[in-house]
Amino acid sequence: MINGADVFTITIRKRAWWFWALAGLWLLLEILLLQTAVASAQEREYRAATISWMLVGLLATLGCFAWLRRRGPHKRSNLSEQHREATTSEPASISTAN
Amino acid sequence: MEEERRQTGRRTLLKAGGLVVASGAIGSIWAFVTGVSTKGNARKRAMWIRIVDRPTLSEKTSDYKRFSGNDMFALYRPLKTQRDGAGSFEAEQASKAERVAAWIRERKPGYSLPDVQLSEGAWTVMHSTKPGVGLLSWTRISVRTPAELGTPRYTAPPEEMASTVKAAARLYGAGLVGIAPMNEAYVNLQALRESENEKDKDIVFGDVDVPSVSDTKFVIPKKMKWVIAIAIPMDLDLLSSAPTALGDAASALGYSHSAFVVSSLAEFIRGLGYEAIPCVNDTAQSVPFAVDAGIGELGRLNKLVTPEFGPAVRLCKVFTDLPMACDKPVDFGLVKFCRNCKKCAEACPSRALSFDDEPNFKTRGPWNNPGHKAWFEDSYKCLQYWQKSNSACGICLVSCPYTKGNEAWVHEGVKATASIAPAADPVFRIMDNAFGYGKQHDPEQWWMNKSQSGRRG
Repeated sequence: MINGADVFTITIRKRAWWFWALAGLWLLLEILLLQTAVASAQEREYRAATISWMLVGLLATLGCFAWLRRRGPHKRSNLSEQHREATTSEPASISTAN
Repeated sequence: MEEERRQTGRRTLLKAGGLVVASGAIGSIWAFVTGVSTKGNARKRAMWIRIVDRPTLSEKTSDYKRFSGNDMFALYRPLKTQRDGAGSFEAEQASKAERVAAWIRERKPGYSLPDVQLSEGAWTVMHSTKPGVGLLSWTRISVRTPAELGTPRYTAPPEEMASTVKAAARLYGAGLVGIAPMNEAYVNLQALRESENEKDKDIVFGDVDVPSVSDTKFVIPKKMKWVIAIAIPMDLDLLSSAPTALGDAASALGYSHSAFVVSSLAEFIRGLGYEAIPCVNDTAQSVPFAVDAGIGELGRLNKLVTPEFGPAVRLCKVFTDLPMACDKPVDFGLVKFCRNCKKCAEACPSRALSFDDEPNFKTRGPWNNPGHKAWFEDSYKCLQYWQKSNSACGICLVSCPYTKGNEAWVHEGVKATASIAPAADPVFRIMDNAFGYGKQHDPEQWWMNKSQSGRRG
């Protein structure tokens, strides 16, 4: 319940198609870099392995950051929307756009 | 409600379709890069290795002739003379043995007793034979011929024959196999001598049925119109410890492996009812045959560079009268890559490799066969470093960006991109350096790493 209202709205927003395309590309790159890191260590190419591990870490951090960054404003806007809807006494609804 | 369900169904169908298209696209890129085929689980060569009608460096002039096979001695003589006042090939070899013994006692890294003896052990098969004798016999060793078995000799369409021979070669240990037409200009004028005092033995083509070896000459039957060119990959981890005695073991093993493969293949062909002459470095120039057979391209090192293993291969060949379909040369963007790269020339400690932007006809000594376009090397400087390092060096082989262990998938992608988009070559050259490829591996770590390795290679 928000601000004492007995109804609330949950809005599940659909992520844009390009977000999923980027996520797919990110995953492919992570797999490729991970494989390069492991294989380079097996080949005793330690510098290549170290750089690949660093890139795996960097890309993972960037990925997490992008994910959280997208979730943050959503959460806030959802809340403010919910707050608006709740205070204007619209009928209770659960909309699933996905 | 019905309309909503229909819309949901359509959306699901679209999503599934998109997934199938995306998977197909990824699969096609994968097949393009790696050459994996869906037909019969076969693995063909990758699609970025283009088949062409003429080799990339195919320009030849009238100066291109049959070459002497014994210029190695012409190189060693001045080398020894310059150092010690007088000398010969044999004297230089003896002197090297003394220098190596001193380094063993000094415990120089890469020259411990096991390092040196690993190389000596790897030479065993190759040292047990010589052109025309033993494993490299020009006539049957022990196989039973179809006549002895009471059957006619094996016949099949040329494509099937080529396929059968390639399968056998691969089983015996060939990394890459190709069939080229015989070109007499690639065959040496003289057989390789065992010592400097030996008399030259001419190699001639004759209207004879069987090849022969005598005290005065080697005779190749004119009916031998096919050459099976073979590349044996060298152990890259071992080679990466070059220039050391340990690194030499990779070359030694490559030679012994070559002798085993060509002698086994020659016996197989004789068993089918045909004649075969197995050769390693002897009898003919291996590189032009390998180029014609589509195994690789001629690179800046003036050596064959293969798309799969780079220049880290040993070449050998078998001459035969067994009719087979010939392969065509390949172009995987190497010459364009070499124009920009120059990494091997920079890595060479004796500055023996060419820095010229373009391949040309300028030879650099009697060790180069004139009349063809190449980046010619200074073999004299190269051998001077062999002498200094008491090893067969091999730094240029390891430094080439095409020399990779092929465990990491990314290398296939880089080679494929270099083949279709040469504009990216300078970036790949920078990346190769940044990732530290081509650097010497610690020779002392090799033993521990190999002893713990669960892999066969």
